Formats: sequence, C-alpha cells, structure tokens
Amino acid sequence: MQWAISVDHKKLAMMYIGAGLIFFLVGGIEAAFMRLQLAQAGNEIVDPATFNQLFTMHGTTMVFLVGMPILLGFGNYLIPLMVGARDMAFPRLNAFGFWLFIFGGLLLYFSYVGADGLYGAGTAPDVGWFAYAPLTSRTFSRGNSTDYWILGILVSGFGSMTTAINFIATILCMRCPGMKLMRMPMIAWMMLVVAFLVLVAIPILTAAQSMLLFDRTLGAHFFDPETQGSAILWQHLFWFFGHPEVYILILPAFGFVSEIMPTFSRKVIFGYPLMVAATVGIGFISLGVWAHHMFVVGLGPVLDSFFGATTFLISVPTGIKIFNWLGTMWGGRLQFTTPMLFVTGFVAMFVIGGLTGIMLATVPMDWQLSDSYFVVGHFHYVLFGGTVFGIFGALFYWFPKATGRMLNERLGKWTFWLLFIGFTLTFMPMHVSGALGMPRRIYTYEVDRGWEIWNLISSIGVPVQMAGVAIFLWNVVRSLRKGEVAGDDPWDAWTLEWSTTSPPPDWNFDRIPTCTSARPLWDRKHPEDPDAHYE
Amino acid sequence: MIDLIDLSSTLANLVSNTVLALQDAATSTATSTAAAATTLVEPVVEQRELTGDFWLPQASSTLAPATDFAFHAITWLSYVFFFAITFVLVYLTWKYRQRGTEVKYDADAPVHNTPLEVGWTVIPLLLVIAIFFMGFKGYLDLSTPPKNAYEINVTAAQWSWNFKYPNGATSNNLVVPAGQPVKLVMRSNDVLHSLFIPDFRVKQDVVPGRYSYLWFQADEPTGIVPEDQMPTTATGHYLFCTEYCGTDHSNMHRKVFVLNEEDFKEWEETQARWLDEVPDEELYSIAGPKLYLRCSNCHSIDGSAGTGPSWGNQTSGSIAGLGTLWTRASEGTSPIDGGTRDNGGSTLADYIGPGKLYETPEDYIRESIYNPGALLVSGYGPNMPHFKGQLNDRAIDAIIGMMKQLDQFDAKGRFVGKAAN
Repeated sequence: MQWAISVDHKKLAMMYIGAGLIFFLVGGIEAAFMRLQLAQAGNEIVDPATFNQLFTMHGTTMVFLVGMPILLGFGNYLIPLMVGARDMAFPRLNAFGFWLFIFGGLLLYFSYVGADGLYGAGTAPDVGWFAYAPLTSRTFSRGNSTDYWILGILVSGFGSMTTAINFIATILCMRCPGMKLMRMPMIAWMMLVVAFLVLVAIPILTAAQSMLLFDRTLGAHFFDPETQGSAILWQHLFWFFGHPEVYILILPAFGFVSEIMPTFSRKVIFGYPLMVAATVGIGFISLGVWAHHMFVVGLGPVLDSFFGATTFLISVPTGIKIFNWLGTMWGGRLQFTTPMLFVTGFVAMFVIGGLTGIMLATVPMDWQLSDSYFVVGHFHYVLFGGTVFGIFGALFYWFPKATGRMLNERLGKWTFWLLFIGFTLTFMPMHVSGALGMPRRIYTYEVDRGWEIWNLISSIGVPVQMAGVAIFLWNVVRSLRKGEVAGDDPWDAWTLEWSTTSPPPDWNFDRIPTCTSARPLWDRKHPEDPDAHYE
Repeated sequence: MIDLIDLSSTLANLVSNTVLALQDAATSTATSTAAAATTLVEPVVEQRELTGDFWLPQASSTLAPATDFAFHAITWLSYVFFFAITFVLVYLTWKYRQRGTEVKYDADAPVHNTPLEVGWTVIPLLLVIAIFFMGFKGYLDLSTPPKNAYEINVTAAQWSWNFKYPNGATSNNLVVPAGQPVKLVMRSNDVLHSLFIPDFRVKQDVVPGRYSYLWFQADEPTGIVPEDQMPTTATGHYLFCTEYCGTDHSNMHRKVFVLNEEDFKEWEETQARWLDEVPDEELYSIAGPKLYLRCSNCHSIDGSAGTGPSWGNQTSGSIAGLGTLWTRASEGTSPIDGGTRDNGGSTLADYIGPGKLYETPEDYIRESIYNPGALLVSGYGPNMPHFKGQLNDRAIDAIIGMMKQLDQFDAKGRFVGKAAN
C-alpha cells in the first residue's frame, strides 16, 4: 500500500523498472515461441494467426512496455539524485504517469481475453507493431483487438509525456547550487534530450492513433484509400514518431555508458563538450530522418535522397560518441566489473548496429534489404545489443544504491557472457538470411531457399539468452536477501547519488549538496587536486 | 524440435548443394538455353542453382551486379571499421586493465584531444558523403525504367498476385521475356503489399490508391513449369510479398519465369487463349482446377476452415455441416450477416429465388466473385478481392461447374474423375 500511494521518485522508478522487467519476460517468451516456430522449415508449432499476434505483441511490448518504462524509470531514479534535488519537480504528476503506463500495458494485454482479431482469427492485436494502414481499418481488422492496441499505447503514451515534462522541469530548474548545465552528469544531458524528443514525437503518435480511432469507430476516412484517404499518411505520422522513438530508447543507454565507463576507467569522460554537442545534434537530426523507413514506398528521388542524406548525417554524431568512449578508456585503469563488461559489450554491438544502419540508408541496398531479416538483425543490434546491454549494465551499477546490497559479481559475469553469446548466435545470422531474401514476419518457409541453417543457429541462441536472464533473476532474488552490503559508495564514483546512503532516505540528501565541478564527489575526496582547478 | 541429427543433416545438405552448384556452374549456360527451347513441349524441372555468394543470392538481373558492387564495397568498409574499432577496444582493455587490487589514477591520462576529435568528426563525414553519392547513382539507375520496357500490370490482393500482359493474358506466376527491360505497373486491391524478387535485387511497395512501378531486365532464361507443379519446382526465381498484409502473408509468394523471346511470345499467345480452347464439356474439369489455384489460399475443398467459407462441407464455424458451397447456395441454408446488399434476411433463402435479389444460385455465386462484399456469410468479413475484369463468363462457368461436381476433385482441387469417388 505504501508503494501504491507513493509519489516518491525512487519508489515509482523501482516500480517502473520492475514492471518493465516483467513485461520483458513476457515479450521474451513471445519471441522464444517465434524462434521455435522458425527453427526449421515447415514447422507447425503455432498457426499463422498466432504467429502474427506474437510478433505484434513482442514488438509493441518491447518498445512501449519494456524499453520506455525501464529507461524512464532510470531517469526517474537518477535525475533528482544526480542533480542534487529532493524529488522530481511534480511528484504527483510523476505517479500519475506511472499508473497510466501500467493501465495502458494491462489494457493491451487484456486483449488476449477480451478482443476479437482479424477475421475472427484470434484475440490479441495482429497488425504488426507499426500497424500499417489500411490493414488496421474496420474492413480488414474486424473485431476490436486493434482498438485495444490503439488505446493501450495511447494511454501509456500520455504517461510518457507527463514524465518528460517532469524530466525537463527537474533538470532545468532543480539543480543544486553550483551545478551549471555544463557540469551536469552526461546522463542528465541524455535524459534532457530524450524528454524533448518524447514531447515532440509521442503527441504525433497520439494524434495518429486518435485519427485511426475516428476511422474505425466514427466512420472518418483519414487512412482509407477507397475514399480519398491515404495509406501513406499513416506511415509518415507513425515514423515521425517512430524514428525519434529509436533515439528515445538508445540515448538513455548512451547515458549509462557515459557514467559507467568513466567510473571503471578511473578517468573523466573523454571530450565532455563534444559529447554534449553530439547528443543535442542527434536530438535535432533524429527529427528529420523518419522517411528512411519508407524507401520502398516510392516517394520519389527528392524525398528519398533527402532522407538518405540526413540518415548518413546522423551517423556522424553517433560515431563521435563511440570514439569518445574509446578515448575514455585510453590511458585509464580499467576495472572489469559486470557493469563495465556490459557497457564494453554495448560499444562493440552498437558499432555493428550502426554500420548496418549505414548499409540500410544506401537506397539501392535498402531495396534488397528492407523488410527482410537483415532489418530485424539491424534493429536488434541497436535495441538489444545497445539498449538492453546498457540497461543490464545500469541494473548492476545502481542496484547497490537502490537496495543497499551488491549483486553477485560471479553470477553477473555468467549473465553477461551467456547474453553476449546467445545474442550473437540469435541475431548475427539474421543479417545473412535477410540478405539472401528472407522476408520478415513470415511464419514459415520452405526447405529449398538456403535459409535453414541461419534460422536454426538463430533459434539455438534463444535458450542461451534465457539461461542468462534466469541467472540474473536468481542473482536479484539472492542478493536482495544476502548480498554483500554495499555502503554509500561501493564503486568509488563521482556523481552525487553516491554521496547519500544506500538506499537513499525519502528526502535524498540531509543537506542539499553543492557542486564545484562535473565530478563533485571527486572534489570532496581529493581536496588536494580538485577538478574545479581545471575548469 | 532442435536436435543434432537435423543440424548435421542440414549441414550435409548444405555441403552437397554447394558441390552441385559448383558442378552446375560449368554447364549452366548450355543447359539453361536447351531448357528454354524445350519449355513448352514438356515442363523442365531443374535443380535450383545456389550460385550466389555468402551474402547475396544469385544475381540474375542486369542491374544486380551494380547493386552487389555497392553492397560489397560498403560491407567491406564496414568490416574495416568494425575490426578497427574492435581492435582498438580490445587493445585498450588489455593495455589499460587494472593490475592488482589497488585503485590507481593516472593524473596525465588524456581527457581531451582536439585534432583527434576533429578527425573522428570530419573523416566519417567525408566517408558517408562518398557512400551517399555511390548509392544515389545506383538509385537513379534503378528508379528510371527504359522507354522501350515491356509493361506488365500487377494486381496484389490478400493473398495472391495477378499478372496481366498487354495481349490480355493473365497468370499467377510472373513470366517475363529475357533480354528485354520489363516494367511492372502495380496496384493493390486491398492493403499494402510489397513485391520482392531477391535474385533481381528489386523491391517495391504496392500501395492501395496509387500505382507504383518497378523495372528490371533478366537475360538468362529459366524455363517454366505449369502452375499445378508449383510447390515442388526448383525452376525460376522467387517472388515474395515483404510487407505484412494479414493472416496468410507468409504464403503470398510466387515464382518468376524468364523465357527467351520466341518462347515468351508463344506462351503469351497460348495463355491468352487457353480458356477458349478448352472444350465446353471439359470446362469444369480442366479450367476449374487451374482457376481454383487463386481461390485455394482462402477456400478449402476438403471442408477445413479457412479465411473464406470452404467450397466443401465445412466442419466448423457458422456453416458447419450444411453441405458443400453449392448445396448451401442452392438450398439457401447459409446464414447471412452483413454486406452492402444485406437487407435483413437471415439465410441465403431470403435472397435467392424468383423476384428476390438473385434469380438463381448461379447468379448469387457470380455476384459473390464480382462483388464479394454484397452478402457476407456469418462469421466472415468483406476481405475477398473482387475479380471483375479478371474472370470472364466462361471462367465463371468453369468455377460454378467445379463447385457443382466437387466430388470429382481431391482435397487439393485436382480432377480425379467420377470413378475415384
């Protein structure tokens, strides 16, 4: 009950992350069924209608009910502690946003029992996570599963918007004395940019979904080509949300890397000003790349080349980040704890995701690779090898702060290596099967197409990953009861959250801290050589 | 489901296929020319040649080599970047790993380096500009069909493709002339689809409410096989739908056959006339099964439930046990719920008969093919594409004839004659 009525940013954050992890297991099980079905040619483990529901629910769950809440949860936990505030700017709005997310997620999953699907075929939504019109119209999507999809995401989207408002207000208005913008932890910068992207992108999705709801229930014709509506309009609106969304999911993970890597390199982050500039640059450019999801639609040379060019452009600030992380390691004293392993793995995996992104941005190549398994491989390298590895790094890094106990390092390393190997087994072969022509979202395939071996390897990776996640869950349960007691500052880190107790009191700090440089705790620990001297 | 025996047999197959492909490569030119010449006499079923490289399937259109060059160039550049970055990463993790347990700091460790930072901003920028222009050139070639291109109209619908040739011939598989640019003019009857031929490196969405184009030129003839041999043939190139389009998206794949000019002309002529040449008394048994191929994705014959009502005696749903489609129509037993011409009747009997909406059951069936949304059987949606302009009266006669004598066909719609049952 204390939790249900709480407006404390730390409790809300832990509920965000806990709920996100539960949805992560659900989405993972959905994916496991898909890989089981695709392990061999001609399998009949699930029927096509069920398979269509599985990939729709997997995608929707992972983006809206796992990625968003976990990352917003970390933002919620860390922002007040890192900028030296007692809570978020609007604690009650914060609780409101959290409960909207929970209700949205439950509404979506209620469709499994409460809705009719396409052609009466099933219950859960089965229109794909980007729900292209006109498959979503009343004509082709009978019953009300698509309405559940619309309403579930619409409701949780309002939650994300309130959280973004809170982030911006807290970061801009509630920093402790002395914390200038250019002294903020990198993660605060990332979250600030993310919050602005949420405020620009999510309302577009909400608007598009409302229009779709009008089409379906009130007889409007926004997306109905039969009556002068446009199927392409949905794609523009969806991806105008959808591409910034990708950066909403990856920038906080960049933030985790930018905090964890310096701590375990025993060095300040390399090129802080350029990092900030690259982050803001990514924020702006990410609003102008959406139609690279639509190269096969036939938008014409002007639009295709414009969006191809902006997509290449965004790879430059992203590359800067990679090089700056390498620069952070350069000359450091690297400690390979579990969080450090995860963020190092993140850098290598994200490079692959970025390079395949460049391949997809080259329009003629996109015409071979688009909508194939190559794309599936590409975005899992970004969102799993990137975001999920970042999240695991963050979980291991801040778990001691939130609970007062350390996670077990030995189990943690098992988790890392199992996830790393399983992940590579599953997603690397998808690039090959995709380039060989395997379309995405097919529920089965025939033997003579040369895709079998790649699909088999992909499926073999799944139990390996599941073992890694199982060990992680065991680690959490075990460490909560008898993990090593963490103390205030187990990693000898430099940001303000480590200056208070673990777990922090409801009011965070007994006295509001002051900040003399980008590493306030360093200055306190090393009065003989404070960073403040170099600013 | 995953066992090592399957893995090893898959590996063995892979090896033997590769050997076969290498053997075939030497003789491929000779055999494929011979194959094309004999095409129309008897179907040629040849082993599919896996002559592509590790990344890409065989390159079978004139523009494919250019796309492949760009693909390989950018892939190699990516290898270089990936291995360089990974090398640096591994080197740094090794060189600067902490030795011992004492935490030390190197006060002189670099935290900023302007030339380096400018370098890793500007060099990638120049590289992506270069890649952009390389891609742009290929883009222009791929998106500009030559003026003399042979035009084929493509209609996509849930979940079938229909190809219509200038002389009026239609087909379910795409058949194209070799050595001549071909332009596909594509439209969709219902939702988004996307036409993808991996061997040609072409893909284009098919969008309801607008036309889209795609062009290619294939020089190597492949031979052709009749449609009823489709599931087993290795001849021809794959054609997939790559935009998710509903329940049976996975099955919306066909073949592309390339014929040399003479064979193509002959095929086109035969294909345009075939229905007229079938004797009247054999219309239902010869033409029926060929036409049924397009219906078979949604309508079963053996009574199993599908996206549309079965032609046979369905075992489940609102029409369970009411008899074959013809029985249901002639006795008027199908329950009706919805449709543009639904006027409140509960079964077909309220719509068929003298003075009612349809005079005869045949009228009802023809209307259901031309305007499928008119009356909907309970539990089914208005999803069936219409076939107006694609099936003439003779084709409708063949289909109705087949429906009336369904006991002479097996579960896959093949004619087995009266004796078999």
